[in-house]
Amino acid sequence: MRALVIEDDPTLREQVIRFLSDDGFAVDAAPDGDHGAYMALEYPADVAIIDLGLPGVTGLDIVRRARAAGRMYPILILTARDGWQAKVEGLEAGADDYLVKPFHREELLARVRALLRRSGGWASAQLSSGPYVVDTSAKSVSSDGKPVELTSYEYRVLEYLVTHAGKVISKSELTEHLYPENEERDSNVIEVFIRRLRAKLDPDAHYNPITTIRGAGYRWDLPRR
Amino acid sequence: MNSLRARLLVAAAVILAAFGGLAGLILERAFQAGLTQAQQDKLQTLVYSLLGAASSDPSGELTIALEAVPDPRLRQPLSGLEAALFSEDAAIVWSSADFLRLTPPSVPDVGEWRFERLHAPNAFALSFGVRWIDAADDPRRYTVVVLEDAAAYDRQVTVFRRTLWLWLGTTLVALTLALLLLLRWGLAPLRELTRELRQVEAGQQPHIRGNYPVELKPLARDLNAMIVSERNHQTRYRNALGDLAHTLKTPLAVLRGLTNEPGIAAAHRQQLHEQVDRMLDIVDHQLRRAAAAGTRTLTEPVALRALADKLLSAIVKVYATKQLRVDNRIAESLLLRADEGDLYDLLGNLLDNAAKYGKRQLGISAECENGQTLISVEDDGAGFPDDAGKLLTRGARADTRQPGQGLGLAAVAEIVQAYGGTLRLERSALGGAKVIVALPMH
Repeated sequence: MRALVIEDDPTLREQVIRFLSDDGFAVDAAPDGDHGAYMALEYPADVAIIDLGLPGVTGLDIVRRARAAGRMYPILILTARDGWQAKVEGLEAGADDYLVKPFHREELLARVRALLRRSGGWASAQLSSGPYVVDTSAKSVSSDGKPVELTSYEYRVLEYLVTHAGKVISKSELTEHLYPENEERDSNVIEVFIRRLRAKLDPDAHYNPITTIRGAGYRWDLPRR
Repeated sequence: MNSLRARLLVAAAVILAAFGGLAGLILERAFQAGLTQAQQDKLQTLVYSLLGAASSDPSGELTIALEAVPDPRLRQPLSGLEAALFSEDAAIVWSSADFLRLTPPSVPDVGEWRFERLHAPNAFALSFGVRWIDAADDPRRYTVVVLEDAAAYDRQVTVFRRTLWLWLGTTLVALTLALLLLLRWGLAPLRELTRELRQVEAGQQPHIRGNYPVELKPLARDLNAMIVSERNHQTRYRNALGDLAHTLKTPLAVLRGLTNEPGIAAAHRQQLHEQVDRMLDIVDHQLRRAAAAGTRTLTEPVALRALADKLLSAIVKVYATKQLRVDNRIAESLLLRADEGDLYDLLGNLLDNAAKYGKRQLGISAECENGQTLISVEDDGAGFPDDAGKLLTRGARADTRQPGQGLGLAAVAEIVQAYGGTLRLERSALGGAKVIVALPMH
């Protein structure tokens, strides 16, 4: 999953970036409103965390611009005052949730996870599909109740596919959403991950959870439970 | 005398009455003077005629033949006109019919006129001193006296007086009425301005709109400027507080994040947590106290239903997974004069609590009753615990599983207090909690 963080305070920004990357996110960050507005429109993102009190373009404007440009990823706004007028303005502008500063790491991650689930159409933190359960809080996967051991990147690919179950995900989309902007990407690696995932999840080729759509990408094909 | 109209009216009435009275007196005097002068002239003419008709009798005394008197009334008894000639020693030498006096009213010098008003009988008297030189060359001194009854004169004066005062009175009353109308018309813009100001105060219009005469235009303009500045001031103040909150809380957020660093010993971590929470508590409390605007006279009225709708759609969005069913029963027309930010925080916290602790349903309603606006927010959750009063103190939370700072109800209580209102916790018909806020109207 790829997160966009727009926060002007450098220490807090670094902290949020660390919280998210430790949790398996690829993170892009902007230090002010102008950069943030650009990134919110041009960068691939699964979720955005936007501070309302930004120098340059305000957080509220970034939310509005992103929505006006048709960007539909969930947005979590950070506010300093627990004033409801600001919250309502932010939510009206198109944000999906708010978080009042200062916040706990767990709170931030829980909200972000919840937003991602909601945007994928999942109701709980456990994404259950076929015999598989992907626990997005514990970052564990089980098949028929038995745990499946995955590497960090394998898990990320799986979580992305399951979150967007039923949708065709291209290789480039997967790379974009799994790696931060400045990291080197190699779409061949994705093929390797998919092959390993299939082997680990479905050694008997019984469920065939991941379908390859030639020339388009991959699709998680098991129904949601 | 606290009304401008009463002041002007009383002053005008006093001036009018004084002016009318004085004018009446002067007119009456002038008329009487004229009438008296005419009376004197008439009697003077009579005296000359009498002297013209006079002649010496054989004894050398002056006499007037009765048939030669110039006015026939002198021959008639009780005619009201009498005349007589007195000798030097005040004895009557000649008199008209029924002249009753034995002495002249006064004895003027020769060639001197004396005009008098007698009271018994009521009459005018004109006396004239003459020296009569006849052919015998024996000059004698006489006094000619003419008396005329004053009843006719009195009647004329009475009639004049009655007419004068009647018309003067009528004119004064008419003038006062005209003045009254004039005042009404002249003061109408002031009355209108007062009415508009009351409307603004009552929150029925945002500012003063009327087109006023040049004298009042600056006042109306200044009043509007004041209203706007009062409102802007509140907004600026709020924004400044928002900025302050932002600058204070961002470092607090960093500190709180640091408490998760693995290098920190468990004991220190706990302390760090506590201190950050305490600081946060203080900042929150002071900011909220500073921000609660409380009652203000010129704040723009807030349409409560629209505000609640905005909050509800925000809440529904935040608690999307709960699929809340919300019911806004506030009347469209309900206006509340309070700071908009305060109302946002008040209802926002109440609705947030209801959404947080309720299951699926939440309702909000408001009505005006006995000079109070009653706002109730209810949900279908577990309701308040028995020691619900504690929820009103800062930091306490009914259900510790829920994320949040537990300041919702305390914040509500602070705002309600700033407006001099009351807060009641009850059980809702939906099964859960019901909070009733009563805010006094002004």
